Amino acid sequence: MQLGSLYALIALGYTMVYGIIRLINFAHGEVFMVGAFTSYFLFTLAPFALPWALAWSALLAWGVTFVLNLWRGSMRDPLVLAGGGVAFVAFAVALSTSGLNWLAAMLLAMLTTGVLGVVIDRVAYRPLRGAPRISLLITAIAVSFLLQNTGLILFTRNQTPYRPGTSWTEFLQFDVGAGTVYTSRLVFLIPIVTAILVTALTLFVTRTRLGKAMRASAQDAETAQMMGVNVNRVIATTFLLGSMLAAAGGVLWGLNFGSLNQPAVLGILPGIKAFAAAVIGGIGSLPGAVIGGVLLGFLENFVTALFPRTGDFPGLTEYKDTFAFALLIIVLLIRPSGIVGEDLSEKV
Amino acid sequence: MPGERPITRNALLTLGVVAVVALLLAWVQGAGGAKLNDTLALFAIWGIAALSLNLINGTTGILSLGHHGFMLIGGYVTALLILPDSARQQISSSARSAMTPFTLGLSVESWFAALGLEALTTPGTLWVRFVVALFIGGLVAMLFGLIVGIPSLRLKGDYLAIVTFGFGEIIRLTASTSLFAPFTNGALGYAGVPSDFGKSLGWTFALLGITLFVLTKLKFSSHGRALQAIREDEIAAEAMGVSLARHKVMAFTISAFFAGIAGGLWVSYLSAARLDFFLFFLTFFFLVAISVGGTGSYTGVLMGTAVVVFVQQYGDPLERTYPLETWFAILGALVLAAGLGGAAFRRRKRLRPVWHPLTILLAGIGAVVLAVALLFPDAAAFDGTFQAFGMRRILLAVLLITIMALRPEGIMSRAEFSWAWLLRERRAEPSDDERAQDAWLTNPDLNRAGAAAADGAAGSAAGSAADGAAGAADPVEPYDYASDHPSAQGDPLPRALLDDDGPGAHPLLERGTKPRDVQRHGVAGDPDFHPDAPDDGASGDADDDGGDAGGGATDDGDEGRT
Repeated sequence: MQLGSLYALIALGYTMVYGIIRLINFAHGEVFMVGAFTSYFLFTLAPFALPWALAWSALLAWGVTFVLNLWRGSMRDPLVLAGGGVAFVAFAVALSTSGLNWLAAMLLAMLTTGVLGVVIDRVAYRPLRGAPRISLLITAIAVSFLLQNTGLILFTRNQTPYRPGTSWTEFLQFDVGAGTVYTSRLVFLIPIVTAILVTALTLFVTRTRLGKAMRASAQDAETAQMMGVNVNRVIATTFLLGSMLAAAGGVLWGLNFGSLNQPAVLGILPGIKAFAAAVIGGIGSLPGAVIGGVLLGFLENFVTALFPRTGDFPGLTEYKDTFAFALLIIVLLIRPSGIVGEDLSEKV
Repeated sequence: MPGERPITRNALLTLGVVAVVALLLAWVQGAGGAKLNDTLALFAIWGIAALSLNLINGTTGILSLGHHGFMLIGGYVTALLILPDSARQQISSSARSAMTPFTLGLSVESWFAALGLEALTTPGTLWVRFVVALFIGGLVAMLFGLIVGIPSLRLKGDYLAIVTFGFGEIIRLTASTSLFAPFTNGALGYAGVPSDFGKSLGWTFALLGITLFVLTKLKFSSHGRALQAIREDEIAAEAMGVSLARHKVMAFTISAFFAGIAGGLWVSYLSAARLDFFLFFLTFFFLVAISVGGTGSYTGVLMGTAVVVFVQQYGDPLERTYPLETWFAILGALVLAAGLGGAAFRRRKRLRPVWHPLTILLAGIGAVVLAVALLFPDAAAFDGTFQAFGMRRILLAVLLITIMALRPEGIMSRAEFSWAWLLRERRAEPSDDERAQDAWLTNPDLNRAGAAAADGAAGSAAGSAADGAAGAADPVEPYDYASDHPSAQGDPLPRALLDDDGPGAHPLLERGTKPRDVQRHGVAGDPDFHPDAPDDGASGDADDDGGDAGGGATDDGDEGRT
């Protein structure tokens, strides 16, 4: 269930972007990786020297200004300047006080990663609007490679310990009839946080004007544009929200496993599994992503638990990663539209 | 059967270039340094792989990302077949299982002996074994190409990309499991693969030449045209009778065959076979080569491969350990360059103001960082060293993103390199034929004269002499240009239109102004035009295109409408 919730959080980003610009955002797994490492950075290296904190805050403040600029239309807009200023102050304060709460780290990481998502869209994808999809896909791969190797430069360790010092990872014990069951509080925490975020996203998409514009663009971007929807802004919003959810997934991922893998592994494997989840559920559909994520998390644990290592039989644990790929291929071959996805027949 | 064709100038030129290249390669292998030799061999090996990937991605237009899987198969099969028995003995016993006698235990010598080919087991005939092994490796990879290609009939676009990526990763992950450990020796792999072939420029370049020849022949054959039709429009191609299934599977199998051969050479080049030689980054490198060189152009792909191999082989200064201050200086210089470059871009695109807040900010930050790094190298912040392991890949990724944003079709686009193209570029003077053609096209009145000339005599209708020739050859009363039309003075268009720098020139004809620029930013000197006003007149500020470091598009001005 925890794993499934995490996959669902990442899968939402894939499915939102695919729904609107029909792009498999290969870089989304890497965005998730950046989110995880940013939060690690925040709560472990928080008490670092003031100049670093200022430089880091300035960078983020500029990013926030950049993103707001896309909505408000001008760098000089008072609201944009105020937003950047608030981000600067908040970040500087957060960084110069040691021992950052994991929740605060998660929110700041979501902010940073959301900005990153918008910047990626603006720099790499937007010049290619209207270009063949194959070009867009190649660019996405390049972006993913860029982030992956940047992560490798910064974090070369195989395993980065991820222990934010919170009581949320402590173990609980329950007395049931047959004996005592030990479980982590995360078992409850992760699905709850996921549920809150998914509800917030659903409310955003169904109740706000921008959400309405998003749904309109997903149906037909050209017509939506003719109706006065600023499709570029809608796409930027999509990247912002998707990347924020991925960052939240990254923080929860770190809490769940207690350590972060090497950036390359952390980017690719959860990314591809979440993509598989999105496809299983039906890519382009928000409930589909959640259903697919939970289903995939369940299946993965189920398969490895069902065939453990016994005697000569090596078990299926070493096929755990192969399983996601195989499932992905099978679903694509048999029912490319997924469980709740609509039929995408070719228009001639 | 083609009849006797004279040896054309092109063929002679090609032969000459091949001979020169062969001599150069022979010289490099004899006298040049080992580094240069390795670089060239790597170029040839990766060239084969990139060419084969280009058959799927470029010519057929379907994105395949599983190439490293095909290379892995070819590489392992080749390694298994040419591994000397001495190296075979050292393979760790941990991998041995019930299947081991059939794979690692049984020597290749005994296979050849069983086939009655003892003569091929002597050391001097290693190259025969290598050729056989390479061929078998290619065939096994081809089989997997078939396996990947068949599902691809049903899928297209992004789905196909993800499925091929999945297949590539499945091949690698499965090869590492205990089931296949007898074949692959797990994560340890094989050491001691003979490197006589992967590092030999003769072998690698001969195979590169064969690959290039076969694939370009294929491209311009009827099957190749079918593949290109699939790239342009699958549905239309199918409607015209192209069998999608057959051609897609064909592309996959042929591509996998050459990928297998590249894999065999790559294993020999590294003199070892390990699973981590076949990570996704291999496919990514070939993708960069294809995109830089031009998707669909095989000669372009070789140019792209040269770029990639150069970065890979000579980019190691980027990944060395340097003092932190050096990195800060580099970073500062890059940011400064981004700021200045942004200003130059705005100037060229006539975006005002040239010194946008963003460019000032970037240039300022860059200048400050650069100055601090250069002036205070002993500052506390610069205490320590830093290694940017992976910088080459970052460079390639940035290169790919830049190419995609600025010129998605690559250097050569879809055109192949040709001598005619190369030579015509260098020739300044148009030929008489071309001049006649130009005159014909631009001056409608010459059409009549030219047609008359063609009727009368087999003929020279050249440029300004056209009227004279027409007059001489035409039995009918010639049309009198001199008194009737200004073009008779040899000027096919009215002066005023051609004089693009003159005061009366039409602004649309201004040099270097594209219609798009005019539409977006108006024409310089037009008093009614306000380039900074938003397109739809809705709310918006003077700098509505602020914050675009590289795009230069002003189309986010239309807001408030969602």
